[in-house]
Amino acid sequence: MPDRARGTKYACPVAIRHDQAIVLRSYPFGDADRVVVLVSPNNGKIRTVAKGVRKTKSRFGGRLEPFTHVDLVLYEGRNLDTITQVAIVEPFRRLRGNLDAVVGAGLMVEAVDAVAQEEESSLRLFLLLQRGLKALDAGYYSPDLITAFLLKLADVVGVAPALMECASCGRRDGLTRFSFAGGGVHCHNCQPEGGVRLRAGITAYLDSLAQAELMSLPTLDASLSGEAMGIARRFLEHHLDRKLFSLAAIE
Amino acid sequence: MFEGPVQRLIDELARLPGVGRKTAQRLAFHLLTVEEADARRLSVAIADMREQVGQCRRCFNVAAGEECAICRDVKRDADVVCVVERPQDIVVVERTQEFRGLYHVLGGSLSPINGVGPDQLRMAELKNRVEGESIQELIVATNPTVEGDATAMYIAREFKPLGVRVSRLASGLPVGGDLDYADEITLGRALAGRMEL
Ligand SMILES: [Zn+2]
Ligand SMILES: [Zn+2]
Repeated sequence: MPDRARGTKYACPVAIRHDQAIVLRSYPFGDADRVVVLVSPNNGKIRTVAKGVRKTKSRFGGRLEPFTHVDLVLYEGRNLDTITQVAIVEPFRRLRGNLDAVVGAGLMVEAVDAVAQEEESSLRLFLLLQRGLKALDAGYYSPDLITAFLLKLADVVGVAPALMECASCGRRDGLTRFSFAGGGVHCHNCQPEGGVRLRAGITAYLDSLAQAELMSLPTLDASLSGEAMGIARRFLEHHLDRKLFSLAAIE
Repeated sequence: MFEGPVQRLIDELARLPGVGRKTAQRLAFHLLTVEEADARRLSVAIADMREQVGQCRRCFNVAAGEECAICRDVKRDADVVCVVERPQDIVVVERTQEFRGLYHVLGGSLSPINGVGPDQLRMAELKNRVEGESIQELIVATNPTVEGDATAMYIAREFKPLGVRVSRLASGLPVGGDLDYADEITLGRALAGRMEL
Protein backbone atom coordinates (compact mmCIF):
# COMPACT_ATOMS: atom_id res chain seq x y z
CA MET A 1 0.00 0.00 0.00
CA PRO A 2 1.44 3.38 -0.95
CA ASP A 3 2.39 5.67 1.88
CA ARG A 4 -0.23 8.39 1.74
CA ALA A 5 1.09 11.70 2.91
CA ARG A 6 -2.04 12.68 4.77
CA GLY A 7 -1.29 12.87 8.45
CA THR A 8 -4.84 12.77 9.74
CA LYS A 9 -5.91 9.79 7.72
CA TYR A 10 -5.45 7.14 10.33
CA ALA A 11 -5.62 9.34 13.39
CA CYS A 12 -9.22 10.31 12.83
CA PRO A 13 -11.91 7.92 11.60
CA VAL A 14 -13.79 10.56 9.61
CA ALA A 15 -11.19 12.54 7.74
CA ILE A 16 -12.38 15.69 6.08
CA ARG A 17 -9.97 17.89 4.23
CA HIS A 18 -9.92 21.03 2.17
CA ASP A 19 -8.20 21.30 -1.16
CA GLN A 20 -8.07 23.61 -4.13
CA ALA A 21 -7.81 22.27 -7.65
CA ILE A 22 -8.59 22.63 -11.33
CA VAL A 23 -10.90 20.04 -12.90
CA LEU A 24 -9.14 18.09 -15.64
CA ARG A 25 -11.79 15.59 -16.68
CA SER A 26 -14.42 13.27 -15.34
CA TYR A 27 -15.99 9.99 -16.27
CA PRO A 28 -19.21 8.19 -15.35
CA PHE A 29 -19.06 6.00 -12.28
CA GLY A 30 -21.97 3.80 -11.34
CA ASP A 31 -25.45 5.06 -12.17
CA ALA A 32 -25.44 8.72 -11.25
CA ASP A 33 -21.91 9.46 -10.03
CA ARG A 34 -18.78 10.65 -11.72
CA VAL A 35 -15.13 10.24 -10.94
CA VAL A 36 -13.67 13.73 -11.19
CA VAL A 37 -9.95 14.04 -11.86
CA LEU A 38 -8.34 17.28 -10.73
CA VAL A 39 -4.90 18.77 -10.27
CA SER A 40 -4.18 20.37 -6.93
CA PRO A 41 -1.11 22.48 -6.07
CA ASN A 42 -0.58 20.48 -2.88
CA ASN A 43 -1.60 16.94 -3.74
CA GLY A 44 -0.96 16.64 -7.47
CA LYS A 45 -3.47 14.64 -9.41
CA ILE A 46 -6.48 13.70 -7.32
CA ARG A 47 -9.30 11.34 -8.20
CA THR A 48 -12.53 12.00 -6.41
CA VAL A 49 -16.12 10.84 -6.52
CA ALA A 50 -18.96 13.30 -7.02
CA LYS A 51 -22.14 11.54 -5.96
CA GLY A 52 -25.29 12.16 -7.95
CA VAL A 53 -23.60 14.72 -10.19
CA ARG A 54 -25.24 13.36 -13.35
CA LYS A 55 -28.71 14.10 -12.07
CA THR A 56 -30.13 17.38 -13.33
CA LYS A 57 -30.92 18.47 -9.79
CA SER A 58 -27.43 17.72 -8.48
CA ARG A 59 -26.30 20.31 -5.96
CA PHE A 60 -22.92 20.39 -7.69
CA GLY A 61 -24.46 21.78 -10.88
CA GLY A 62 -21.84 22.92 -13.33
CA ARG A 63 -19.15 23.38 -10.74
CA LEU A 64 -17.27 20.20 -11.60
CA GLU A 65 -17.04 20.75 -15.35
CA PRO A 66 -13.52 20.63 -16.84
CA PHE A 67 -11.38 23.78 -16.58
CA THR A 68 -13.13 25.01 -13.43
CA HIS A 69 -10.88 26.14 -10.58
CA VAL A 70 -12.64 25.00 -7.43
CA ASP A 71 -12.34 24.90 -3.69
CA LEU A 72 -13.24 21.45 -2.37
CA VAL A 73 -14.22 19.79 0.83
CA LEU A 74 -13.36 16.11 0.61
CA TYR A 75 -14.34 13.20 2.72
CA GLU A 76 -11.54 10.68 2.63
CA GLY A 77 -12.46 7.22 1.47
CA ARG A 78 -10.48 4.02 1.28
CA ASN A 79 -9.90 4.27 -2.46
CA LEU A 80 -11.40 7.49 -3.69
CA ASP A 81 -12.22 10.62 -1.76
CA THR A 82 -15.77 11.89 -1.98
CA ILE A 83 -16.54 15.50 -2.74
CA THR A 84 -18.93 16.92 -0.17
CA GLN A 85 -18.75 20.62 -1.05
CA VAL A 86 -17.58 22.63 -4.04
CA ALA A 87 -17.18 26.36 -4.45
CA ILE A 88 -15.96 27.98 -7.63
CA VAL A 89 -12.79 30.03 -7.39
CA GLU A 90 -12.65 30.86 -11.11
CA PRO A 91 -15.04 29.47 -13.74
CA PHE A 92 -13.10 30.69 -16.81
CA ARG A 93 -16.48 31.41 -18.29
CA ARG A 94 -15.39 33.32 -21.40
CA LEU A 95 -13.14 30.58 -22.72
CA ARG A 96 -16.10 28.20 -22.72
CA GLY A 97 -17.84 30.35 -25.31
CA ASN A 98 -15.10 29.99 -27.93
CA LEU A 99 -14.54 26.71 -29.72
CA ASP A 100 -10.82 27.30 -30.36
CA ALA A 101 -10.29 28.23 -26.72
CA VAL A 102 -12.16 25.13 -25.55
CA VAL A 103 -10.04 22.91 -27.78
CA GLY A 104 -6.90 24.67 -26.51
CA ALA A 105 -8.01 24.25 -22.90
CA GLY A 106 -8.78 20.60 -23.62
CA LEU A 107 -5.25 20.11 -24.83
CA MET A 108 -3.80 21.85 -21.77
CA VAL A 109 -5.72 19.66 -19.33
CA GLU A 110 -4.88 16.55 -21.32
CA ALA A 111 -1.16 17.36 -21.17
CA VAL A 112 -1.33 18.18 -17.46
CA ASP A 113 -3.26 14.98 -16.85
CA ALA A 114 -0.50 13.08 -18.62
CA VAL A 115 2.32 14.46 -16.48
CA ALA A 116 0.70 15.04 -13.08
CA GLN A 117 1.46 12.45 -10.42
CA GLU A 118 -0.83 11.43 -7.63
CA GLU A 119 0.08 12.48 -4.11
CA GLU A 120 2.94 14.69 -5.16
CA SER A 121 2.84 18.45 -4.80
CA SER A 122 2.65 20.13 -8.16
CA LEU A 123 2.54 23.83 -7.54
CA ARG A 124 4.38 24.80 -10.73
CA LEU A 125 2.20 22.55 -12.85
CA PHE A 126 -0.94 23.92 -11.27
CA LEU A 127 0.17 27.52 -11.76
CA LEU A 128 1.11 26.83 -15.38
CA LEU A 129 -2.32 25.40 -16.10
CA GLN A 130 -3.95 28.31 -14.33
CA ARG A 131 -1.96 30.80 -16.42
CA GLY A 132 -2.78 28.90 -19.60
CA LEU A 133 -6.51 28.91 -18.88
CA LYS A 134 -6.34 32.58 -17.91
CA ALA A 135 -4.72 33.41 -21.22
CA LEU A 136 -7.42 31.53 -23.13
CA ASP A 137 -10.11 33.15 -21.02
CA ALA A 138 -8.66 36.57 -21.84
CA GLY A 139 -8.90 35.78 -25.56
CA TYR A 140 -5.24 35.06 -26.29
CA TYR A 141 -5.94 31.92 -28.27
CA SER A 142 -3.30 31.08 -30.89
CA PRO A 143 -1.33 28.00 -31.95
CA ASP A 144 1.72 29.68 -30.42
CA LEU A 145 0.01 29.79 -27.04
CA ILE A 146 -0.31 26.01 -27.19
CA THR A 147 3.30 25.61 -28.29
CA ALA A 148 4.52 27.87 -25.49
CA PHE A 149 2.38 25.97 -22.99
CA LEU A 150 3.80 22.61 -24.08
CA LEU A 151 7.39 23.89 -23.90
CA LYS A 152 6.81 25.29 -20.41
CA LEU A 153 5.18 22.02 -19.38
CA ALA A 154 8.25 20.12 -20.59
CA ASP A 155 10.35 22.45 -18.47
CA VAL A 156 8.18 21.93 -15.37
CA VAL A 157 8.55 18.17 -15.62
CA GLY A 158 12.28 18.47 -16.24
CA VAL A 159 12.54 17.51 -19.89
CA ALA A 160 12.82 20.95 -21.52
CA PRO A 161 14.41 20.55 -24.95
CA ALA A 162 17.76 22.16 -25.74
CA LEU A 163 16.93 24.95 -28.18
CA MET A 164 19.85 27.37 -28.34
CA GLU A 165 22.82 25.07 -27.87
CA CYS A 166 23.67 21.57 -29.02
CA ALA A 167 22.25 19.02 -26.59
CA SER A 168 25.45 16.95 -26.95
CA CYS A 169 28.38 19.36 -27.09
CA GLY A 170 26.92 22.74 -26.18
CA ARG A 171 27.90 24.49 -29.41
CA ARG A 172 25.75 27.46 -30.20
CA ASP A 173 26.08 27.52 -33.98
CA GLY A 174 25.43 25.15 -36.83
CA LEU A 175 22.36 23.82 -35.05
CA THR A 176 20.65 22.08 -37.92
CA ARG A 177 19.05 18.95 -36.50
CA PHE A 178 16.44 18.25 -33.89
CA SER A 179 16.32 14.94 -32.05
CA PHE A 180 13.27 13.99 -30.02
CA ALA A 181 15.11 11.20 -28.22
CA GLY A 182 18.35 13.19 -27.96
CA GLY A 183 16.88 16.08 -25.98
CA GLY A 184 16.60 18.84 -28.57
CA VAL A 185 18.80 20.58 -31.13
CA HIS A 186 22.16 19.23 -32.25
CA CYS A 187 24.97 20.70 -34.26
CA HIS A 188 26.01 19.10 -37.56
CA ASN A 189 29.00 17.45 -35.89
CA CYS A 190 26.92 15.60 -33.36
CA GLN A 191 24.52 13.96 -35.86
CA PRO A 192 22.01 12.39 -33.48
CA GLU A 193 20.18 9.25 -34.42
CA GLY A 194 16.74 9.88 -35.82
CA GLY A 195 17.29 13.63 -35.90
CA VAL A 196 15.19 15.72 -38.25
CA ARG A 197 16.46 18.62 -40.31
CA LEU A 198 15.17 21.98 -39.19
CA ARG A 199 14.23 25.06 -41.12
CA ALA A 200 16.24 28.18 -40.38
CA GLY A 201 14.82 30.20 -37.52
CA ILE A 202 12.65 27.48 -36.03
CA THR A 203 14.72 26.88 -32.88
CA ALA A 204 14.98 30.59 -32.19
CA TYR A 205 11.22 30.78 -32.63
CA LEU A 206 10.65 27.88 -30.21
CA ASP A 207 13.05 29.44 -27.75
CA SER A 208 11.26 32.79 -27.87
CA LEU A 209 7.99 31.00 -27.10
CA ALA A 210 9.55 28.99 -24.27
CA GLN A 211 10.84 32.20 -22.66
CA ALA A 212 7.81 34.45 -23.14
CA GLU A 213 4.90 35.07 -20.82
CA LEU A 214 1.77 33.29 -22.05
CA MET A 215 -0.13 36.55 -22.22
CA SER A 216 2.58 38.46 -24.06
CA LEU A 217 3.87 36.11 -26.71
CA PRO A 218 5.98 37.43 -29.59
CA THR A 219 4.18 38.21 -32.84
CA LEU A 220 3.03 35.05 -34.55
CA ASP A 221 4.99 34.06 -37.65
CA ALA A 222 2.59 32.06 -39.81
CA SER A 223 5.47 30.46 -41.71
CA LEU A 224 6.94 28.91 -38.55
CA SER A 225 4.00 28.56 -36.17
CA GLY A 226 2.64 25.23 -37.44
CA GLU A 227 6.00 23.49 -37.58
CA ALA A 228 6.92 24.84 -34.13
CA MET A 229 3.77 23.34 -32.64
CA GLY A 230 4.47 20.03 -34.35
CA ILE A 231 7.96 19.88 -32.85
CA ALA A 232 6.80 20.81 -29.35
CA ARG A 233 4.06 18.21 -29.56
CA ARG A 234 6.25 15.40 -30.83
CA PHE A 235 8.91 16.23 -28.28
CA LEU A 236 6.48 16.03 -25.40
CA GLU A 237 4.79 12.92 -26.77
CA HIS A 238 8.15 11.25 -27.07
CA HIS A 239 9.02 11.99 -23.46
CA LEU A 240 5.59 11.10 -22.11
CA ASP A 241 5.49 8.01 -24.25
CA ARG A 242 1.92 8.70 -25.23
CA LYS A 243 -0.05 10.60 -27.85
CA LEU A 244 -1.82 13.85 -27.14
CA PHE A 245 -5.17 13.39 -28.84
CA SER A 246 -6.44 16.92 -28.44
CA LEU A 247 -3.51 18.22 -30.46
CA ALA A 248 -4.34 15.90 -33.30
CA ALA A 249 -7.74 17.58 -33.36
CA ILE A 250 -6.20 21.06 -33.68
CA GLU A 251 -3.72 20.33 -36.41
CA MET B 1 -21.93 -21.16 -7.25
CA PHE B 2 -25.38 -22.11 -8.59
CA GLU B 3 -26.33 -24.69 -11.21
CA GLY B 4 -24.53 -23.82 -14.46
CA PRO B 5 -27.48 -22.36 -16.43
CA VAL B 6 -28.67 -20.32 -13.42
CA GLN B 7 -25.22 -18.91 -12.82
CA ARG B 8 -24.91 -18.05 -16.51
CA LEU B 9 -28.11 -16.01 -16.41
CA ILE B 10 -27.03 -14.30 -13.21
CA ASP B 11 -23.72 -13.36 -14.83
CA GLU B 12 -25.49 -11.96 -17.90
CA LEU B 13 -28.01 -9.97 -15.86
CA ALA B 14 -25.29 -8.60 -13.63
CA ARG B 15 -23.64 -7.05 -16.70
CA LEU B 16 -26.67 -4.82 -17.27
CA PRO B 17 -26.36 -1.19 -16.14
CA GLY B 18 -27.74 -0.60 -12.68
CA VAL B 19 -28.02 -4.31 -11.87
CA GLY B 20 -25.84 -5.56 -9.06
CA ARG B 21 -25.12 -9.18 -8.12
CA LYS B 22 -27.93 -9.31 -5.59
CA THR B 23 -30.54 -7.99 -8.00
CA ALA B 24 -29.29 -10.33 -10.72
CA GLN B 25 -29.77 -13.27 -8.38
CA ARG B 26 -33.27 -12.15 -7.43
CA LEU B 27 -34.27 -11.71 -11.08
CA ALA B 28 -32.85 -15.08 -12.09
CA PHE B 29 -34.68 -16.93 -9.34
CA HIS B 30 -37.83 -15.01 -10.14
CA LEU B 31 -37.61 -16.16 -13.75
CA LEU B 32 -37.12 -19.69 -12.50
CA THR B 33 -40.42 -19.61 -10.58
CA VAL B 34 -42.72 -17.88 -13.13
CA GLU B 35 -44.61 -19.73 -15.88
CA GLU B 36 -42.25 -20.92 -18.55
CA ALA B 37 -44.21 -18.97 -21.20
CA ASP B 38 -43.63 -15.73 -19.30
CA ALA B 39 -39.90 -16.30 -19.14
CA ARG B 40 -39.84 -17.25 -22.81
CA ARG B 41 -41.68 -14.04 -23.78
CA LEU B 42 -38.85 -12.05 -22.27
CA SER B 43 -36.19 -13.94 -24.16
CA VAL B 44 -38.15 -13.61 -27.42
CA ALA B 45 -38.65 -9.88 -26.86
CA ILE B 46 -34.90 -9.44 -26.46
CA ALA B 47 -34.12 -11.53 -29.53
CA ASP B 48 -36.78 -9.76 -31.63
CA MET B 49 -35.56 -6.34 -30.63
CA ARG B 50 -32.02 -7.16 -31.61
CA GLU B 51 -33.15 -8.73 -34.86
CA GLN B 52 -35.70 -6.17 -36.01
CA VAL B 53 -34.46 -2.88 -34.68
CA GLY B 54 -31.67 -1.06 -36.39
CA GLN B 55 -30.75 2.52 -37.13
CA CYS B 56 -32.88 4.97 -39.03
CA ARG B 57 -30.90 5.69 -42.19
CA ARG B 58 -32.01 9.31 -42.10
CA CYS B 59 -31.67 10.44 -38.48
CA PHE B 60 -29.93 7.45 -36.79
CA ASN B 61 -32.66 7.05 -34.22
CA VAL B 62 -33.56 3.45 -33.41
CA ALA B 63 -35.87 2.14 -36.12
CA ALA B 64 -37.79 -1.03 -36.89
CA GLY B 65 -37.29 -0.68 -40.60
CA GLU B 66 -35.39 1.66 -42.88
CA GLU B 67 -36.67 4.82 -41.25
CA CYS B 68 -37.84 5.53 -37.73
CA ALA B 69 -41.44 6.36 -36.82
CA ILE B 70 -40.63 10.05 -36.46
CA CYS B 71 -39.04 10.36 -39.90
CA ARG B 72 -41.96 8.43 -41.44
CA ASP B 73 -44.54 10.75 -39.85
CA VAL B 74 -45.52 13.20 -42.63
CA LYS B 75 -47.16 15.55 -40.12
CA ARG B 76 -43.77 16.41 -38.59
CA ASP B 77 -42.11 19.65 -39.60
CA ALA B 78 -39.15 18.72 -41.78
CA ASP B 79 -37.79 22.29 -41.68
CA VAL B 80 -36.55 22.00 -38.11
CA VAL B 81 -34.10 19.36 -36.93
CA CYS B 82 -33.17 18.82 -33.31
CA VAL B 83 -29.60 17.55 -33.00
CA VAL B 84 -29.02 15.20 -30.06
CA GLU B 85 -26.13 13.09 -28.77
CA ARG B 86 -27.92 9.76 -28.31
CA PRO B 87 -31.20 8.11 -29.36
CA GLN B 88 -32.32 8.16 -25.71
CA ASP B 89 -32.25 11.96 -25.84
CA ILE B 90 -35.00 11.89 -28.49
CA VAL B 91 -37.32 10.26 -25.98
CA VAL B 92 -36.61 13.04 -23.51
CA VAL B 93 -37.39 15.80 -26.01
CA GLU B 94 -40.47 13.96 -27.29
CA ARG B 95 -41.85 13.71 -23.78
CA THR B 96 -42.09 17.50 -23.60
CA GLN B 97 -44.56 17.43 -26.53
CA GLU B 98 -43.17 20.83 -27.47
CA PHE B 99 -41.24 19.79 -30.53
CA ARG B 100 -42.79 18.78 -33.86
CA GLY B 101 -39.70 18.66 -36.05
CA LEU B 102 -37.27 15.87 -36.91
CA TYR B 103 -34.09 14.70 -35.24
CA HIS B 104 -30.48 13.90 -35.96
CA VAL B 105 -28.47 11.63 -33.66
CA LEU B 106 -24.76 12.52 -33.61
CA GLY B 107 -23.63 9.48 -31.68
CA GLY B 108 -21.81 11.45 -28.98
CA SER B 109 -20.19 14.83 -28.43
CA LEU B 110 -16.84 16.33 -29.38
CA SER B 111 -14.20 15.21 -26.94
CA PRO B 112 -10.71 15.49 -28.39
CA ILE B 113 -9.19 14.12 -25.19
CA ASN B 114 -11.13 10.89 -25.75
CA GLY B 115 -10.29 10.81 -29.43
CA VAL B 116 -13.76 11.95 -30.52
CA GLY B 117 -13.47 14.52 -33.28
CA PRO B 118 -16.05 15.62 -35.87
CA ASP B 119 -15.20 12.57 -37.99
CA GLN B 120 -16.25 10.23 -35.20
CA LEU B 121 -19.67 11.89 -35.03
CA ARG B 122 -22.38 11.97 -37.72
CA MET B 123 -21.48 15.45 -38.90
CA ALA B 124 -21.00 14.48 -42.54
CA GLU B 125 -24.43 12.82 -42.50
CA LEU B 126 -25.92 15.99 -41.03
CA LYS B 127 -24.27 18.03 -43.76
CA ASN B 128 -25.79 15.75 -46.39
CA ARG B 129 -29.20 16.26 -44.85
CA VAL B 130 -28.84 20.03 -44.70
CA GLU B 131 -27.81 20.08 -48.34
CA GLY B 132 -30.40 17.58 -49.53
CA GLU B 133 -33.47 18.30 -47.38
CA SER B 134 -35.53 21.40 -46.65
CA ILE B 135 -33.90 22.08 -43.27
CA GLN B 136 -34.12 25.74 -42.17
CA GLU B 137 -33.09 25.43 -38.54
CA LEU B 138 -30.94 23.18 -36.39
CA ILE B 139 -31.72 23.13 -32.68
CA VAL B 140 -28.71 21.73 -30.87
CA ALA B 141 -29.79 19.78 -27.79
CA THR B 142 -26.44 18.38 -26.67
CA ASN B 143 -25.72 18.09 -22.95
CA PRO B 144 -24.88 21.30 -21.08
CA THR B 145 -21.29 20.13 -20.56
CA VAL B 146 -17.99 21.36 -21.94
CA GLU B 147 -18.18 18.65 -24.62
CA GLY B 148 -21.82 19.38 -25.43
CA ASP B 149 -21.11 23.09 -25.67
CA ALA B 150 -18.08 22.52 -27.90
CA THR B 151 -20.24 20.36 -30.16
CA ALA B 152 -22.86 23.11 -30.39
CA MET B 153 -20.23 25.72 -31.22
CA TYR B 154 -18.75 23.46 -33.87
CA ILE B 155 -22.18 22.93 -35.47
CA ALA B 156 -22.82 26.68 -35.46
CA ARG B 157 -19.47 27.33 -37.13
CA GLU B 158 -19.88 24.64 -39.77
CA PHE B 159 -23.57 24.98 -40.60
CA LYS B 160 -24.42 28.68 -40.38
CA PRO B 161 -22.44 29.34 -43.58
CA LEU B 162 -24.75 26.84 -45.33
CA GLY B 163 -27.66 29.17 -44.66
CA VAL B 164 -29.43 27.39 -41.80
CA ARG B 165 -30.27 28.91 -38.45
CA VAL B 166 -28.50 27.23 -35.57
CA SER B 167 -29.87 27.56 -32.06
CA ARG B 168 -29.01 25.94 -28.75
CA LEU B 169 -31.38 24.83 -26.03
CA ALA B 170 -31.45 27.54 -23.40
CA SER B 171 -29.69 26.21 -20.35
CA GLY B 172 -31.14 27.62 -17.21
CA LEU B 173 -32.24 26.86 -13.72
CA PRO B 174 -33.82 23.56 -12.78
CA VAL B 175 -37.55 24.01 -12.28
CA GLY B 176 -38.45 23.58 -8.65
CA GLY B 177 -34.98 24.54 -7.42
CA ASP B 178 -34.00 27.44 -5.20
CA LEU B 179 -32.11 30.32 -6.77
CA ASP B 180 -29.54 30.40 -3.97
CA TYR B 181 -28.56 26.78 -4.66
CA ALA B 182 -27.69 27.52 -8.28
CA ASP B 183 -24.00 27.51 -9.07
CA GLU B 184 -22.33 30.43 -10.81
CA ILE B 185 -21.98 28.66 -14.15
CA THR B 186 -25.62 27.58 -14.34
CA LEU B 187 -26.80 30.99 -13.18
CA GLY B 188 -24.50 32.76 -15.64
CA ARG B 189 -25.92 30.74 -18.51
CA ALA B 190 -29.47 31.30 -17.36
CA LEU B 191 -28.75 35.03 -17.43
CA ALA B 192 -27.18 34.87 -20.87
CA GLY B 193 -30.18 32.96 -22.21
CA ARG B 194 -32.82 35.08 -20.47
CA MET B 195 -36.17 35.72 -22.15
CA GLU B 196 -38.05 38.95 -22.45
CA LEU B 197 -41.42 38.90 -20.71
ZN1 LIG C 1 27.20 19.16 -30.97
ZN1 LIG D 1 -35.41 8.79 -38.30
